[in-house]
Amino acid sequence: MSANGNRHQEIVKRLLDSKAVDFTAIGKAVAELGPSLAIAEEPWEGFCGTMRRFIHIYQIFNPEVPVEELGGLANVAGQLK
Amino acid sequence: MNVQKQAWNKEDLARRLCHALDIGRQTVEELAHKGYTDSQEPGNNLRPEKLISETAFLLLAASTAADISDVRKRIKALAQLLIPHARSERMLLGMCLHPAMALDYAQAHVCLARLGYPDANFDLLLRQSMGSQARRGRERVPHRMLEQEWLTAVWENPTPGSRPYALPSASGSVLNHSMDLLNCSREDIYALTHALMYVKDFNISPRRLPRRRAEITAGATALLARCLDEQDYDTGGEVLLAWPLTGRSWSAASVFGFRVLTQVEDQAGFLPASSTRLARVEKLEGEHRKHYLLATAYHTIYVMGLLCATALQAGRTPPAQIPTNTAVPGGAKMILRFLDTDQRSVHWRDELEKLTEPERDAIAGLLLNIAFRRKITSGQFGALRELLEAAHALGLSGMPAASQTAEMLERLATFAEIKQTQVEKVCKANDSKEVLSTRYSVLSCSESHQ
Repeated sequence: MSANGNRHQEIVKRLLDSKAVDFTAIGKAVAELGPSLAIAEEPWEGFCGTMRRFIHIYQIFNPEVPVEELGGLANVAGQLK
Repeated sequence: MNVQKQAWNKEDLARRLCHALDIGRQTVEELAHKGYTDSQEPGNNLRPEKLISETAFLLLAASTAADISDVRKRIKALAQLLIPHARSERMLLGMCLHPAMALDYAQAHVCLARLGYPDANFDLLLRQSMGSQARRGRERVPHRMLEQEWLTAVWENPTPGSRPYALPSASGSVLNHSMDLLNCSREDIYALTHALMYVKDFNISPRRLPRRRAEITAGATALLARCLDEQDYDTGGEVLLAWPLTGRSWSAASVFGFRVLTQVEDQAGFLPASSTRLARVEKLEGEHRKHYLLATAYHTIYVMGLLCATALQAGRTPPAQIPTNTAVPGGAKMILRFLDTDQRSVHWRDELEKLTEPERDAIAGLLLNIAFRRKITSGQFGALRELLEAAHALGLSGMPAASQTAEMLERLATFAEIKQTQVEKVCKANDSKEVLSTRYSVLSCSESHQ
């Protein structure tokens, strides 16, 4: 394994060797706080709005819904000949 | 010939690239003049400068495969179609009125000039804008500064060939730092992929990377995992560029990722983005339907074009089969136990079912990255620790996402101790002798092993 790989392993081992913590309980607390912790995706997000005044090439907005069923897309793909 | 070392069929790559160029032609014909406006879903709005610049960028990447006649003739036809849009009144006025964005407006012109289609008049106005006081009047983040440096370099010296000096902003970009692989945004992923494209210039005039390419592709693997699991093929395709752009051998994970994208493309007829909604398509007719489809679909198709063009370069083609030399026996099965708890239906899983046992074990690291992300986004930190333990036992924890996960759990343990201390202080302040049950219990090693 590379030196970098060893470094990552050592960090993991350090955590595994440390005293036990109830991470499941912590997860519940984080879930309660979760929504208020989100700092991204405010309307002005993007470096105080300056990002919106540029031409954003090779980036697209993701509506965060699943990709459509592939068979259905194939039925309309003919229009993209 | 060793089957595992057989390269991906180049005719297949060329076919996919030609498809992207054909879509480019349609997109320019239909949308380059006015762009696209979607009153129902403004997220689909498309300004002409964006698609004109992106088309020129695609042409530049495709030019590295111009030895293939079908590709070459499409490049020529599309370049001719693009020229009037690249040097339109809109672009000229954009440079006049916004000199700080002169290169943004000139991007298509710069790419076309490099492809052998110069324009001295456009250069004249560009030079005037670049010499103005307001030239640097808008602040940019590092990868956007890299874009400016790349465009300037290409404009001033379009001749192909390796460049000895790094682009100045590369060292300050995300290309030179470990990304937050667990919680970064899509924009952060784009920052990495774009920085890589600008520094490597599609291997036409590549520059030195600010960090070892092994570190860059190790991070890219974690990001690829996220893209595949979220079925975000736009960012996924760009992340896959990391392998042919850096020249790093295609890993098992990256070959698998490429296979997933090609399978999805073959089944859908094009590489889709989630912005193309069938319910919407059905409500539209004629030109409106075509425009909606082009506006929502062209971009991810272009990304596949960039990827296939780069993969066609000598020594950059993925292997036809997933390499299994790094397979960890039993690794895939172990990690799938953690993944199968949520029964999510995803395209990569369909592709996984087609693999042999050694091939699945070879991508155990990718599966581990997917598992990390799922557990983190659902707050299952207890399961996360179990996952790390299992991965470490199998020798799979030597990756950046694993150590970042461990570091995050260490921080959460500190958070738990701080919370407990705060609770105890409150108890003392209230002079309460009642033993409060806290929401967190921090056990000593001796207690935990009883």
